[in-house]
Amino acid sequence: MIVLFVLAQGTAMGAEEKRPYKIGSVFSYTGPGAFLGDRMKTTVEMMVESMNKKGGINGHQIQLTVYDAASEVTKGVTAANRLITQDQVDIISGAGNMSGISLALKPVANRNQIPIIANTGALAIVDPIEESRWMFKSHLSDREIIGKAIEYWNSKKITKVAMLSDTTGFGKSARDELRLQEPNSGIKVVSWEEFDMNATDLTPQLTRIRSAEPEVILFWTVAASGVVIMKNARQMGMKQTLMSGFGFVVPRFMTMAGEAAEGCVLVSLRYPVGPQLPDADPCKKVILQYTEEYKAKYGSEPDVYGAEAYDGMLMAFEAFKMAKSFDKEKLRDALENLNFIGTNGVYNKFSPKRHYGLTKDDAVVFEWRGGDWKLLMGAETR
Amino acid sequence: MSELLQFAFSGIMIGSVYGLVAVGFCIVYNATEAINFAQGEFVMLGGMMAAVIFKSWGWPLPLVFFLAVTAALLLGLICEKMTFGLCRDPRVLNLIIVTIGLAIAMKGAVMMIWGKFPKDLPAFSGEKPLFVLGATLMPQAIWIVLISVAVMLFMRFFLEKTTLGTGMRAAAADKVAASLVGIPVRWVSTLSFGIAAGIGAVAGVTLTPVTLTSYDHGTMMGLKGFCAAILGGMGNVYGGFLGGIVLGVVEAFAAGWGSSGYREVVAFLCLILILFIRPSGILGETGRERIAKI
Repeated sequence: MIVLFVLAQGTAMGAEEKRPYKIGSVFSYTGPGAFLGDRMKTTVEMMVESMNKKGGINGHQIQLTVYDAASEVTKGVTAANRLITQDQVDIISGAGNMSGISLALKPVANRNQIPIIANTGALAIVDPIEESRWMFKSHLSDREIIGKAIEYWNSKKITKVAMLSDTTGFGKSARDELRLQEPNSGIKVVSWEEFDMNATDLTPQLTRIRSAEPEVILFWTVAASGVVIMKNARQMGMKQTLMSGFGFVVPRFMTMAGEAAEGCVLVSLRYPVGPQLPDADPCKKVILQYTEEYKAKYGSEPDVYGAEAYDGMLMAFEAFKMAKSFDKEKLRDALENLNFIGTNGVYNKFSPKRHYGLTKDDAVVFEWRGGDWKLLMGAETR
Repeated sequence: MSELLQFAFSGIMIGSVYGLVAVGFCIVYNATEAINFAQGEFVMLGGMMAAVIFKSWGWPLPLVFFLAVTAALLLGLICEKMTFGLCRDPRVLNLIIVTIGLAIAMKGAVMMIWGKFPKDLPAFSGEKPLFVLGATLMPQAIWIVLISVAVMLFMRFFLEKTTLGTGMRAAAADKVAASLVGIPVRWVSTLSFGIAAGIGAVAGVTLTPVTLTSYDHGTMMGLKGFCAAILGGMGNVYGGFLGGIVLGVVEAFAAGWGSSGYREVVAFLCLILILFIRPSGILGETGRERIAKI
């Protein structure tokens, strides 16, 4: 009897040891944020499939479960809870691809003590670090992007800027960042305006901006209202350069805005201008390899958001590789010590005090000209 | 001064669209006493179909406009037959809930068929702005206002001066009496739905060059149009249109002078205020006539 019992325990533990690594993902692939989440979902599915074909990680197969947050905070939180309680995942890579959702998942991560990797911008996701033990970012935060924008403005001797941000977590975070960095930056924000993400007419806000006479208009959203901004501004005869951040790197939006998008400057991660990067850039190889793999499987090209999810999933893979365990605490510790080359940078700046791996030197500036991105200011990764 | 004018232009343009949507609500309400909460989705559908037809075949815009509106009208007729027509207990409350279901179904169907990405349509006569006293006016805005006013006037003419229109109003006033004098009450309901759908589509097609359209565009449009209809007096075509203009202008000025982030709140604030102060709306019937109906 006792022998049988011990044997049974042994096989039970053996089964437990060999079970697949379970990764959960929450992406918004419907709703206004859908164009961001779409490539993210297909990218991580491709990665898991190809990793499993190569034999998995540490001999374990990977089981991926993806849920849709539909661009809504409540749905995102429900999806995460489902992944944790129902699907019992070991780690979550992908926090709704919208800052508002990722922020809402922080208490979920803390309560359930499970690491969550977010592919979104807002700094508040991993700051203050004392409250963000379980949250990690594969992405730059708006702190770095705004910082790079200021660097760009300084290099072009631009001093007067208008800020037109949407009222989501993403927009508000950027607005706060700009306010924080404005003193002693060499630039002055002459107009602060806000708009609803689903707005269809931005002429009132642009009218007020026009009276303030900025040299550049920085608009901040991920939604189609950005296209309306570009069109409205040009229709109103405003000649200022239009700039936006890493949430608006969408060629389709640019073509929709037509002439109005010509010369639109974006501050972003380096993926979209991958082929234009110097060969010495360590990420170039990873970028080209990812693009090729994605094209081979899906027949279309990925985009910078897919690349962010790629890096986010690499983070999860590396965590499993290093920790060699299902233990969430061990995975969490591993995430604080990552060191690998992704599509958007060399991820080696993680530490117990810093839960995102990229710096301002990983940001690039490019513009939309003649139907494609043109690199203006490169990355300075070491 | 130019700022004020800019806000006014923006407000009147979007207000005309709200007004058209409100007219659509009025038509269906007049014929069936029900609020058609799928009205906003027909606006979205009009714009969507026009954008898809144009992208796929590149036909001239007037043809695309005509096709989109006709398609929406037919779809409206079919939807009514399939929903209200099959309703075993056509009480007003049931009909309203049916329209909510229809709205959700339409939105989902469009999302599945045409995807989540926004779609655009070229402006009817180009995008070169006109400059009026320091404010810019887009030609498309003029199209929107002209077409909306034309449709509104046509609807008023239709309801008051044509036999069919008078028959519709009779059926709305008293179904039993109307059927006694030979008015096909069921058919009136179907027709009203079709007309409302067509009007919604007109609003959608004219607005899409300015705002783009996507599968979730209809919900807000429907809500704003509903507010406009209540504001102006539910059931009164002129009132609905006026309500739309008032709503659009108040919104534009609130965004321009006040906090631009809370523009959307204004519509619903207006609704609450009008319901407190004058529930029958600006041009609506007062309590007197309502009791007389019983």
